[in-house]
Formats: sequence, C-alpha cells, structure tokens
Amino acid sequence: MADETDALYRDMLQRMLLIRCFEERVIELCHRKQLEGLVHVGIGQEGVAVGIAAALASGDYLYGTHRSHGHFLARGTDPGRLMAELAGKDTGLCRGRGGSMHIVDADRRLMTATGIVGGTIPLALGTALAAGENGDVVAVYFGDGASNTGSLHECLNMAALWKLPVVLVCENNGYAEFTPMSAHTVVSHVSVHGQPYGIPAQIVDGNDTLAVLEAGRAAVARARGGGGPTIVECLTYRLRGHYVGDPAAYRKAGEVAEWRDKDPVRRFTALLQQRGTLAANEVEAIEAAARARVEDAVSFMTESPWPAPRSVADYVYA
Amino acid sequence: MIQTQSYSVEARRKFLEQMLTIRRAEEQVIHFATDHKDLIRGHYHVYIGQEASGIGACAALAPDDYVFTTHRNHGHVIARGGELGPVLAEIIGRTTGYNRGRGGTFHVIAPHLGILQTSGVVGGCMPLAAGAAFSIRKRGTTQVSLVFFGDGVLEEGAFYEAINMASLWQLPVVFVCENNGVARELRKSGQCPTSSLAAKQLTDIPNAFSIPSVIVDGADMLAVASAMADAVSMVRRGAGPVFVETRITRWPGNAGTFPVLIGGDYRLEWALSPGSAPQELQEWLQHSDPVALFIRSLVADRVMTKPDVEAMDAQIHQAVGEAARFALESPAPKAEFALDHIFA
Amino acid sequence: MTQMRYVDGLRRAIELEMERDQRVIVLGEDVSVGGPFGITAGLLERFGDRRVINTPISEDSIMGLATGAALAGKRPIVEIMFVDFITLAMSQLVNHTAKLRFMSGGQLNVPMVIRVQQGAGGGWGAHHSQSLEAWFHHVPGLKVVAPSNAADALGLLRAAIRDEDPVLFIEHRGLHFRRDEVADPDAIPELGTAKIVRAGKDLTIVTYLKPVWDALAAAAELAARGISAEVIDLRSLSPLDMGTVLRSVERTSRALVVHEAVLQGGLGAEIAARIQEAAFDWLDAPVHRIGAPFAPIAASPVLEQAFVPNAWTIVAGVEQMLGLAPAAGLRAGDARHVT
Repeated sequence: MADETDALYRDMLQRMLLIRCFEERVIELCHRKQLEGLVHVGIGQEGVAVGIAAALASGDYLYGTHRSHGHFLARGTDPGRLMAELAGKDTGLCRGRGGSMHIVDADRRLMTATGIVGGTIPLALGTALAAGENGDVVAVYFGDGASNTGSLHECLNMAALWKLPVVLVCENNGYAEFTPMSAHTVVSHVSVHGQPYGIPAQIVDGNDTLAVLEAGRAAVARARGGGGPTIVECLTYRLRGHYVGDPAAYRKAGEVAEWRDKDPVRRFTALLQQRGTLAANEVEAIEAAARARVEDAVSFMTESPWPAPRSVADYVYA
Repeated sequence: MIQTQSYSVEARRKFLEQMLTIRRAEEQVIHFATDHKDLIRGHYHVYIGQEASGIGACAALAPDDYVFTTHRNHGHVIARGGELGPVLAEIIGRTTGYNRGRGGTFHVIAPHLGILQTSGVVGGCMPLAAGAAFSIRKRGTTQVSLVFFGDGVLEEGAFYEAINMASLWQLPVVFVCENNGVARELRKSGQCPTSSLAAKQLTDIPNAFSIPSVIVDGADMLAVASAMADAVSMVRRGAGPVFVETRITRWPGNAGTFPVLIGGDYRLEWALSPGSAPQELQEWLQHSDPVALFIRSLVADRVMTKPDVEAMDAQIHQAVGEAARFALESPAPKAEFALDHIFA
Repeated sequence: MTQMRYVDGLRRAIELEMERDQRVIVLGEDVSVGGPFGITAGLLERFGDRRVINTPISEDSIMGLATGAALAGKRPIVEIMFVDFITLAMSQLVNHTAKLRFMSGGQLNVPMVIRVQQGAGGGWGAHHSQSLEAWFHHVPGLKVVAPSNAADALGLLRAAIRDEDPVLFIEHRGLHFRRDEVADPDAIPELGTAKIVRAGKDLTIVTYLKPVWDALAAAAELAARGISAEVIDLRSLSPLDMGTVLRSVERTSRALVVHEAVLQGGLGAEIAARIQEAAFDWLDAPVHRIGAPFAPIAASPVLEQAFVPNAWTIVAGVEQMLGLAPAAGLRAGDARHVT
C-alpha cells in the first residue's frame, strides 16, 4: 500500500536523521571532553544501517562491529540509554560496563558490538544455528578490514556447509582503519570470498537506502526460507576518521568531497521529496525533531548517576 | 593438462631411489612403533602412498630455498635431503636426531636443509612460510618458500590470512596442498569436495585471491615433478605465489588411527603384479600407489629391469637398516640437559 | 558402588545432561565419530546431527559459534581437541565468552562448557603436551574445573553443564583409562569445592589432575617413613576453594603445591601467595611448590620424564621441606623441580 510504504520511508528517514544528529553530537561531546574513551562514529553510513534494519523482522537478531551506534539506533535503541552507555553512566544500556564498542540491547536482540575486528561473525553463526530453528534470521556487520581475518573465511565455510540463516552485511567503506582496500587485499570486492563456497552475493550502493533495503529483504527471505547465507556488500564511506580524533590524513585529496556528494541522508531526503512522501516544509521539522531527541538523550546522560565504585566486579558471574 | 617434461634415465632412477627410500624408512618407523615397547609412544604419521608428491616438489627446489611442513613430515625431510640416521634418531628422540631428540616425529626440523618448521598445529606453518617469503622479497634474493600442508588446512583461518598477504605482496610462496583423501577417478581432474569444506574445488579458494593454481595427480611421479618444476620456476621469476594441489588416494594402511603394514613390508612383486598382494591393497597397487605405478612404467619403458629395481631396493634396505641401528644405539638425551636450547 | 573409567564418566555426564535438557548441544572436531578419545562416541546416533555437530578445523570460529549459540539459548559443550589448540581460539574465549555478561551489564548469558584435555606423557611433543590452566585462572568471567577421577569427571561435568557461566573443563589425557570406584553416580558436586582425598597431620599437599595420584603414592611412601601427609584435590581452579586449603594448613602448618604445569607463573604461585597471606602465623615453614621446569616439552622420553613431576619428585620435595635425608630408590634429578 502506498501509505504503508510512505510511512515506512518516513520512519526510515527519521532514523537516519537521528543517527546523523546523534553521531555529530557525540563528536562534539568528545571534543569537549564530556565523553571519553575510544569512539567510532558512522557518519556517512546511515543508509546501510537503516536499510538493513528495515529488512529485518522484530524477532531477528543483529550483531555489530566497533562502529555500531547507528546499527542500534536504526533498530530502535533508546538514544538516551545509548548516550549514557557511551558516557559510562549507570543508566546506560550496559550499566556503563560496555562503552561505545561493546554495546548490547538484548531486549531488541541487538546482541553485541565488539572491539575485535570480525569478532561477531562466529557469534552470529552460533546464534543462527540456535535461533534458526524458530525461523529467526541473524544479520551481522563486518567491514572490508575484517575480510582478511581468518575467522571470516572459517565462517563462510561453515555458514555455507550448514546453510545457516545468516545475512552477512559487509560495510565496505574502502578502509581498514587507515589502510585503503587496495593495500590490504587483492580482491576487487569482499563478496568474492563467498564464491568458492557458493554463497550468493549482492553488491549495492550502500548510500542508496532503498537499494540496501531491497538487497537486505532478499537476503533475509533467502535465509528465512532455508536457502542459507548471503553476503550483502554495501559500498559506502565514512565521512569522518576511523575514530573520533583521527585526522585521517591518509585519505586522498578530494575523496571526502566526492563522497559528501553522495551523502545518503541528503539523497534519501531528496528522494522522499521527489516521491511526494515529504513536503519541503516538513524536512526542517523532521530534522528539528531528531535534534531534539538527541538533546533529550544528552540531558538524560548528563543527569544520570555514575555506577557505584564498589560495583566494579558486578556482572562477572551469574 | 600438464605437459610432462621428459626426464632422463638418471633422473628417473633417482626418483625411484628416493621413493623407495621414503617407503622403506616409513616402514621402519612403523616397526619402531610396533616391534619395540615405548619407543614411539604417541601418535605418528607416515608418508606411505604420498612419496611422489614430496619428491616431485623438493626436486624443483634449490639448496637455499625454504621448506615448511606438517606433522606428516618424514617424507618431506628425506625428499629434501635429510639423512636417514638423524631423521630416524629424531623420530625416536635420540641426541643424534636433527633436533637432538626434542622435536620427535611431529617436529623434524633441519634448518641446514632450509626446513625451518614443521608444525603440530594444523595450518601453523602458513604464516611462517609467508613470513619467510616476505624476508626473501625484502632481501631481494631468488629463493622461494615452499609450504606443504593437507586439505584440512583450508578450514583454518590462518590459511586465508597467509594467502591474502602472499597475494597482496606477491610473495614467493609455493603452496603445496597434498589432498590425500581423493578417490582414484578424481585425481587428475574434477571437483573434489571434502565433508568439512563447503568449497567444491579446493583451488577455487586461492583463485579467489588471484593466485594461479594447478591440480596434479599426486600418484604420477613425473607429472608431479613437472608441475612442481613449472610452479617453482614461476615463483622464482617473481610472478607471485602459486598453489599446487596434489591429489593422492590414501594408502589402505592409513585408513585407521595408526598406520598398519597390511601384508607386512612392501614387496616389489606387488608392484609388478598387484594380484599377488593382499586383497585390501590390490586396487591401490593397481591404480594409486605411486611406487607401483612408477616401477611399472620404468620397467615398461625399459629404463630399469626387475633385477635393477631389486638391487636398488636391497641397497636401500641396507641403508635403512644401518640408519635404524644407528638410531637405536644412539643415546637418549640426559635429564640434566633438559633446559638447554630454550633461550639464546 | 560402581566402577567406572574416567572417559566413561565424561561420556555419561554428557549423555545424561543431553537427555535431561534439549538445549544441550555438542560441537567440535570429529565429535560425530567420538573424537580422538572416544568420549563423544554414540552421541550422534542417539541425539542426531542437530545436537551433535561436527565442525571443520576452525578453532577460533568454533569458539565464537558456540558462544553465539549460548547467547541464543543453547547450552553448548564445545570440545577443543588439545589444550594447545585453544591458543587459536583465545580471542573469542577471552574477549567474548568470558566477558559478554560483564560488558552487557548482565543482559547476556553464556552458559557453555569448553572441554579440553591436556598433559604430557606419551611423547607427543611440544604442541600436544602443554598444561595451560594458569592462563584461564587469570581470566575473570571464566570458571575452571579439573577433575582427577571418574566420579568427579562425571559429577563435575554435569555441574559445569548446568552452570550459568562459561566453564573451562580440563581433562588429563593420562587419566582417561583409570578406573575408579564411583560411590554415588548421581552426585553433582558444587563447582568451587575442593576435596581432602587423604587425611594427614604433618603437611598439606595441594594439587589437581594427574598429580593427585602421584601425591597419594608419595603420601603412602612417606607414611612408611612416619610422615603423615594430607592431600587436597582442588577440583576447581577458578574459583579456588581456599577455605578447605587454609583449614588444612591450620592443622598441619606446612604446605606444598604440586602441578604438572610449568612452575613459573603457575597456579602454585597464586595458591602459595594466598596461603602465606592468610595463614602466615600457622606456618612453620615457607610454602613450597613443585612444577615443571621452565621449558617446552621435548618429545624424547628421557627429556619428557625430566619435565613431568611424579611421585618420587613429591617424596623428594617433602624430604627437602622437612630437612630429611633422601629416601633410597630416589632417582637423580627427581629433586630438580622443587623450589
């Protein structure tokens, strides 16, 4: 139904804007030393986060990377509790224990992010082994940098061997930390690695939110229908450094400007206006709403208490 | 299809000599385990049925090339020029062994032959081989780094990390995958999946990394030697890494957990008339035993006569016997030297 | 009273728990054909291939996979064939399995058992003979269990499978075929409890896995010389049951810790530190430790024997501690392991 689709797309744009505002605010808070620690933001990759999120059913599972704020927000994680977690407050998703790289929102089946490159891929396979019996699908993110870890290949083999209901989402942003893809691997695309195992791949423009959605839906359907794994390779770009504070001098001149022209948020906004889903005067309102939500999150974070020092060894064992 | 180079009479005789040496040495290892109490106490792996693969590969190498291998290393070490005495002594843990008794059967290492490591960990040598090749490139020599491994290694992540870097940096590595569970009809070509690997063809994997690969019948001595000579020379010329899959049909004696000399020590008559051998060996002798196939071809081509082969075998028997006596009479290491060789 | 072999105790534990709880699954290399020691033999036929999963040789991913299955409600028992190969799986085990409960602030649960076997003897060489329990004792979030006999192999493995935390279950290869009396085959001891396996009054020997039997043999030998040794089988290496140990030291005033693992940085160091911190006033002598020399394990039998502590090593150690003349029958080099 056109109405349903419109509603869905509006919702998707709202989530993209929420992510963009959230991440920009996080950078600012870091610069002001109101947030500490090692933080990785996903500005420029919102199309992937939201496209994949919309392709999953509510009971499906998701595993992230070290750069997962957007993955979680796209699935409905409360921005206040996420911000509080980044700050290490007791009201954070993980009561301050996880931090930016290790967020978990188990109620939403957002199982974990990780500091270990490629580390969530085997976890995802295990969850798929278990949850597949209920018809649930597991999506896992990894970057082009993770494509060289031995574990990815071990998992491609096992996912194919056992036809696990898993969607392997590669956020190929062209960099493994500071190293461009051409300098860290010989393959043209990460999904080439799935070929020897007969794993189908879809390579999409990761900044075209609807293209990601479509590819995501096809992969999820295949997994749910017993067809096994798919690699959805989303070509995208992170508009900021690897971590907050990274000057990113390793990038070629003009590269950032080139990708800014393909900004997924701007493109989707324009698309929705073109479609008539959004009127011109609504854009400002949606953007303002996103900023307001983020400000609420910051207030919540600021006013929240720290965990008690004597709780330092809580949650180690059952 | 592999163009088999023509090999001189001398070269072919040499190949047979090496094949029989490995065959008889490995039989001796089995005798060490079965005829003596507690001489070989743990598990051990013999190269019977795979001789052509290791010999063909090592024949293509220069003296200063590097070799890495696995727990199934005896054949490789001998093919590379390892002397029987120190090899057998190492296998039974004597001070006169290449590793002074510290390595044992899984870890026979001989740096003077370029054999830098044999790993008990599946896939353990892959990154080491890439590293040695990296060193070669940095130093600008024409050496190559050759690594032997089994089909199981393709299940280990370390393999992928190593071949990615080898391809990325065009490292002079020769990857020799000895796929030793292959049905005889599939040795020359065809898809060859294993039960733990989803890939239908092992070589699809290096191909995905743009590494050229070749499949060769591992029971065909001259085919392996040719293929390996081509592969090594490509790598030495600076063309980057190459992957060779040698396909081998398992020797029936290796079907169980420990090797068993079905029918006793190998008899040359079996090679010439497989029907005279125990039932369980006949098909293997007819189609898959590299030694039998080679002997029959040498005799058919009139390169050697049956008496020639027998004479060669008798000499090898004697050499192996001497080496075994040497090993058995060699002293075991003394406990007070247990802490030697840990640090510089 | 039943007699049972250690391997049978292990197999029975897995069978019973798989029968009792559909969520229990087994993963590992060669498990569908029983594995190298036959422990998982018959499980595939009985429980099917959805619950007994044969994996490729991919330790890192297998560990992560088992963890991910645990996160989604299964209770995996993952087998790593030799403890030496757990090195390939360290990242998943240490960074995820052990830490997900904590990092998630209690949202996630990882009820899984990692079974490994370790130990020297048999001449398998440096990659198949290590004892690595000290590394895992050092990782918060993991529990570590190490049974010395068939009854504990059975009971403690069942307890580990039922535990809500990840448990590293360490078996000793040299114990596989020992037969023990199993007084109560249905008993499920609590994890974290040690056991006094021989009462004594002159000194306390604290140990685990195969050295428990060496200590008992040594104690019998020492008894003939009029020395009464109490032997404690720790059974649980993390958490440690220091209560039992300290109460014993209070009575005996002397302590000796014995393990097969390398002495340097071994569990003996931790236990000795804790004893002297808590029981200094009761001690009549420093706490001593016996462990392997600081070296990899050679394949050669003579060298392997020189590494692995045995009953005579313990006798020699005790004699040294008590300032006694060495007993007849002691071999040269047996005393080298003692601090």
